[in-house]
Amino acid sequence: MSRLRIFFSSAIFSYRAQFSWLNPSMWLTMKLVLSLSQMAFFVFVGLFISGNPAVIHYIAIGNALQTVSWNVVFSVINITGHDKWDGTLPLVLATPASRLPLFFGRAMMHVFDGMLSVVISFAFAATLFGVNFGNANMLALAVTVFLTAFTMAGFGLLIGGLSFYFREPIVFANIFTYILLIFCGVNFPVQDLPQIVQPVSYAFPLTYGVAAARMTISGATLFDISILLGQQLVVGLVSILLGYFLFRTFEHVARKTGRIEAV
Amino acid sequence: MPQMLRVVYSAFRMAMLHWIADPQWVIPNIIAPFIFTTVALTLFKNSTGPFGLYAVLGGGMMGMWGNTLYSSGFAIEFEKWQGTLEEVMATPSKLLHVIAGRSVSNALFGLTNMIAVLLIAGFGFRVPLGIANLPMFSVALVLTLLSVSALGLIFASAFVLSRSAQTLTNGLEIPLYIISGSMFPIALLPFWIHPAAYILGPTWGVDAIRLATSQDYATDSFWKGVNANVAMVLDLAVMIVITLIYAAVAVVLFKMVEKRARTTGTLVEA
Repeated sequence: MSRLRIFFSSAIFSYRAQFSWLNPSMWLTMKLVLSLSQMAFFVFVGLFISGNPAVIHYIAIGNALQTVSWNVVFSVINITGHDKWDGTLPLVLATPASRLPLFFGRAMMHVFDGMLSVVISFAFAATLFGVNFGNANMLALAVTVFLTAFTMAGFGLLIGGLSFYFREPIVFANIFTYILLIFCGVNFPVQDLPQIVQPVSYAFPLTYGVAAARMTISGATLFDISILLGQQLVVGLVSILLGYFLFRTFEHVARKTGRIEAV
Repeated sequence: MPQMLRVVYSAFRMAMLHWIADPQWVIPNIIAPFIFTTVALTLFKNSTGPFGLYAVLGGGMMGMWGNTLYSSGFAIEFEKWQGTLEEVMATPSKLLHVIAGRSVSNALFGLTNMIAVLLIAGFGFRVPLGIANLPMFSVALVLTLLSVSALGLIFASAFVLSRSAQTLTNGLEIPLYIISGSMFPIALLPFWIHPAAYILGPTWGVDAIRLATSQDYATDSFWKGVNANVAMVLDLAVMIVITLIYAAVAVVLFKMVEKRARTTGTLVEA
């Protein structure tokens, strides 16, 4: 019970903490602006190149799903950064609370927030850029969006764990939020990348999520995408475990060297 | 040296020293334009047409935009975090001049993105990178940099009073890339966005830069049917007028903001 309480406390407080610097109206504005603007930018680039509706829809769907990373990658990595800036990191490390629910819980509210971002983006994709959801398998799409948010939160925790040791996690947050646009098949297929870097794409859970979302929007069932989702789940769980390992390792180093916030 | 220029230069030098002391901050400022350009180059690679020109020059332009905008917002936030904003406000030097020096420095640093983009375009994507009119290209680039800096001043004045400066910065970045037509012709945008594009100085700057890079672009320029050299001069003239208006607006805004901050006493809490 205690672990469950820690999990929920960690989830709620980590999420609420962002409202110390972000008021709710700004939060909503950002959600709408970010969801639309990135998608619109690449849609216009696609329009400039070909004007082919299939290309436009491909780009719109990819970017809609990628918006999840603003919540579950950027925000989750920045939890460590804010802990350092706000001086709360020593308190977090001093607590006797079990580390696993504490570590894992901090990303959980961002998963649901990320799903909301994707829903808003899909609405933009349908109303402004003509993506047809008429054939979509809604159950399969909902499961895909949830699993993508969940596994990408694992990825956020991994990079968050890594950036624990560095002074400015926001640098990592920026790099790993944007780099997904290149590697995950968001705007063009992974096969368009140089062959030597293609394996990197499959280290990101988003790659599987984007592919699965495109299939479900075309009518694929949960069974059709089960292999993709299975692979995504494995990559996500490995990320969480690695992230937890890094978090504990750097916590140990920080305690040993006495440089908790300075590292 | 006149006092105003001395303050601007000192702020410029200080900002440059900050960047050199902590160069990792260049990453958040230029990562979006760099990644966006790489994605655009990948999308363009199987297409024929002037796409490389748009991607490379647009990417460089976006770097200046991104860095200026990000730094305008973050400069104030940083002073608040460090507890030095009160001191900056209390100095006899005008806040506008301090921020102006920083703004030019930030736009200049944004050009590092252009170098990164040129390298990846030249070596990674084999985009031809010849410049048809180097003197005009240089003039257009410097004037565009000043125009972006002047716009940065307007943003910075608003950011002094906002707790959400950094958030606003993140939110404004991509819309500005879209509206200024950095990576694609403005004609593709809905017509109601066009006026917003035309009041942005850098929109004209990027048109001049494209004209200076390739004479073939003259048919796609804002001044279709006009000789490329004349079109460039017209672009630059419009941009200079807009930049002067930005500067005048910034002067008024900074006066208002300074007065309000001093009257209400909510500078740091804002």
